[in-house]
Amino acid sequence: MIGLGASLSIATEALGAQTAALEVASNNISNANTPGYSRQVVSLSSAALVQNGTTVDEGVSYQGFTSVRDSILGLAVNAATSQQGNLAAQNSLLAQINTAFSGTSTGIGVSLSTLFSDLSALSTSPTDPSARQTVLSDANALAGAFHQGAAALSNASNSANQQVSSVVAQVNDLSQQIAALNGQIAGAEASGGDGGALTDQRDQLTTQMAQLIGVSTTQTDGQPTLTTSNGSPLVIGDSAYQLQVTTASDGTAHVLDGQGNDITNELTGGTIGGAITARDQTIPALSQQLDAIASQFATAMNAAQATGFDLNGNPGAAMFTVPAVGNAAAGIQVTISSGSQIAASSDGSAGSGGNVKALLEVQTTNLPSGANPTDSYANLVGNIGFAGSQVNSGLAATTLSLQQLSTQQNSESGVSIDEETANLIRYQQAYSASARVISTINDIYGTLMNMSLGEG
Amino acid sequence: MRVDPNLSSLLNVGIQGTEQALNTAVQQLATGQRVALPSDDPAAAAANLQSLAESANVDRYTKNGDAVLSQAQMADSALSNVVNELNQAITLGTQGADGSMTSEDRAAIATQVQTVLSEVVSQANTTFNGVSLFAGTAGAMPAFATDSTSPSGYSYQGNSGVNTAAIGDNLQLDINVPGDQVFTNPNGNVLGSLSQLISALGSGTTEDIGNAVTAVRSALTSVGQQRVLYAGVVNQINAQESYLSQETLSLTSQQQSLIGVDITVAISNLTQAQIAHSTILAAAAKVLPTSLLDYLK
Repeated sequence: MIGLGASLSIATEALGAQTAALEVASNNISNANTPGYSRQVVSLSSAALVQNGTTVDEGVSYQGFTSVRDSILGLAVNAATSQQGNLAAQNSLLAQINTAFSGTSTGIGVSLSTLFSDLSALSTSPTDPSARQTVLSDANALAGAFHQGAAALSNASNSANQQVSSVVAQVNDLSQQIAALNGQIAGAEASGGDGGALTDQRDQLTTQMAQLIGVSTTQTDGQPTLTTSNGSPLVIGDSAYQLQVTTASDGTAHVLDGQGNDITNELTGGTIGGAITARDQTIPALSQQLDAIASQFATAMNAAQATGFDLNGNPGAAMFTVPAVGNAAAGIQVTISSGSQIAASSDGSAGSGGNVKALLEVQTTNLPSGANPTDSYANLVGNIGFAGSQVNSGLAATTLSLQQLSTQQNSESGVSIDEETANLIRYQQAYSASARVISTINDIYGTLMNMSLGEG
Repeated sequence: MRVDPNLSSLLNVGIQGTEQALNTAVQQLATGQRVALPSDDPAAAAANLQSLAESANVDRYTKNGDAVLSQAQMADSALSNVVNELNQAITLGTQGADGSMTSEDRAAIATQVQTVLSEVVSQANTTFNGVSLFAGTAGAMPAFATDSTSPSGYSYQGNSGVNTAAIGDNLQLDINVPGDQVFTNPNGNVLGSLSQLISALGSGTTEDIGNAVTAVRSALTSVGQQRVLYAGVVNQINAQESYLSQETLSLTSQQQSLIGVDITVAISNLTQAQIAHSTILAAAAKVLPTSLLDYLK
């Protein structure tokens, strides 16, 4: 088909194709700041058909548009996001704990040395009631400091526990949204389209999910499948599998998958993984250490009390009690009620300060755990610091690699307004040129018309 | 290769980084501390706690030393008075032993020696903050009380307890001598020899008086020996206190080097952070507004 009619239809086709290209560019520009949006490129091809052994050009054909995304990179982003979520959760919990144990003028360490310092004063004035009262209030202050330390740890543990429940609720919400999107995308793909923006939304939600709970994405029977890192299904195709939270006998929140299996210990990624690690491993280890100090210190002080006599000549009574079961640091109590009950005397006479030496030796004698009370506490603070700094530097490294990955992803999929502007001009010019072709053909037709009219 | 078209997100990361550095530098300068949280430097934070505990002990040793020092000085001055009194008794006794003395003269001297005895007893009952210094560890009551059944007229009410004070790590100092060792020591009985002298002056021969004076002399020697302990306490505390004040200095500088900030380093960090921050802000100002659209008007 050669002739003016063919040129006209090629030009009309071109107008349509450039319009579509303009539409894609305008869509890209409008989504330049949409999180997770992957830029789209228009796909045009030159149309031709073969007639009677001859190739006939038929102008341009608009083939739709495709989103530019690298799904492998997407997986790497999800993995890094999940690790970042984990470390960020741990970091904020450990930062709380570190702040609580940062005191150099308050806290267990200071209370310990104040107690021993004021006890030591008793050696020079064993009958001084105010010196004895000071020691008693120091002992109470120390018990209070232990309580605060224990509370700081258990508060962090509680907030980790709450995080577990709230993350499960968010994950369930996200998995429903993702399942719904999967259905829509499958519909779009069935009719030959590209999921486009819907896929972007799903990827965005999947990354959010990775932040909360480590995910792995696979295909099951051709259906996109999202599971936790241990393989419990969250979304298969358009069905969402809800996680559940149950409260265990120790009061901690446990996570059950869609089949009711307890997967708490297998969740390692994301915020929930970090919260579980902190709640079930890091914090219990620290609590145990603090409890050991409290209970061993109480035992040592009581033993030293027992070797002496109080101001009234009675054998020294126990200074502290700790709960037989449960948390020693949270439950340590001062059991003597008066300064006169401090067993400073070694021979029963009021003026003797001979047993002060035994009481003071608690400070320098190793507890069963292997270090003296001051050093044991310093070790604990060191461990708290190590846990914090480890997570901190891990978080910094992961954040950096996540930034690099997202830069890489942006360089692939991000919308450049400059690029789109240049495209707009290109498509606009092509559109004007095609329009000019139509008006030229129109002129030619006009000339032809005038010619035949003039002859007639 | 395509580059990340979104410069603002890159710049935001950079700006956040330099702001963080600026923040850290300012905080370190403001607090003077490099380690605000244990996680900033776990080993230093732990070592600092140990050092602080040691500092608290050193402070306490110093205070204990001060308390013991005044106590020991008081006891020493009481014993110094006793020495003077005993010397006076010896002088009086020597006068009394003179064969030319009449019994009236001797009776008058005996009265003077009696005054010496009660003076000595009152020194023996010296208290410090309400505590008898020479009653062993039974300081609540006077060390010696009048007792008509005792030859000297006084009996010891204290015990043989000795208190110790901690003035250093593993350094315990005996801080008192029980009164019976000082005043009724068999090798030189102060109270006994004085009452022996009084009765010899009252009814004894010249020889008895001479013997009594000899007994007072050996009591004087004995008191001098017991005084050595207090002099030793004073010397040891003075020596220990100068050691402790050095220790305080070295602990303070240890703590400073553990968690304190090196001011020159902190200032140079601040300057670097400032420069980095203004550089990235300048870069942002330069780059962010640039757009192809500006050139298409």
